[in-house]
Amino acid sequence: MSLRKTIEVVVRLADAGIIQEYAIAGAVAALSYIQPTLTEDLDILVSTEHFETRSSGLILLAPIEKALADMGYTERTDVGVVIGDWPVQFIPVASKLDEEALEQAVEVHIDVPGEPALTARCLSAQHLVAIALKVGRPKDRTRIDAFLQQGAVDLVALKGILERHGLMAAWLTYCARAGIEDPLRTA
Amino acid sequence: MNDSEANYPDISDILARKEAGRRQRAALSFTEKLDALDALRKRVQPIVRARKLRERGQGGRPVGEA
Repeated sequence: MSLRKTIEVVVRLADAGIIQEYAIAGAVAALSYIQPTLTEDLDILVSTEHFETRSSGLILLAPIEKALADMGYTERTDVGVVIGDWPVQFIPVASKLDEEALEQAVEVHIDVPGEPALTARCLSAQHLVAIALKVGRPKDRTRIDAFLQQGAVDLVALKGILERHGLMAAWLTYCARAGIEDPLRTA
Repeated sequence: MNDSEANYPDISDILARKEAGRRQRAALSFTEKLDALDALRKRVQPIVRARKLRERGQGGRPVGEA
């Protein structure tokens, strides 16, 4: 099953109300703005208000897993539930930044042969960069490099997000590490 | 002798072509990029599978390591 079909299943979950707010995140969302890079899974950021939360803070995504099982997707890997050929990781909103990213997600259109284009929600370029900065692994820094080099991010909007979420110090550290002049200085 | 004094070939056209390729790939539609990612993933799957098998067989250590 292609990645298109996997996303279609996620959209169906949203249409059925199993997940409410959602957006494609991670490397697949980045595809919408920059050249394709390899990834092994599909990340979906989901709102959590209607999911049960244990006293330990653990959020149960059981309704998603049950709905997927009803659709025949029962296989799990260490990175998530396998939908078709793709492991899908449902990531609950875990910060104010995630919340804002979900609220400001944009629509992307996916062509489906013989059918109307599928509309899915996807994180904005600016939020993808801010989240990558916050997570801060080497591959996240590489993703930020790609967004900057390919001119794929609105620097003014990015600056606002980083200021709102206390990420300016992390940004300056990133710039120093990357050996670049702060592109937000004049934004 | 530094790089500018040495007789190295000019690779600026190669770098320009690479940059043009990057821009071209970045400009593909989301659908085209999803398909490209599917193809890319299929190509590396044998390598990923072999690595996982190796790691499992060696208790997490790559083959050849003590």
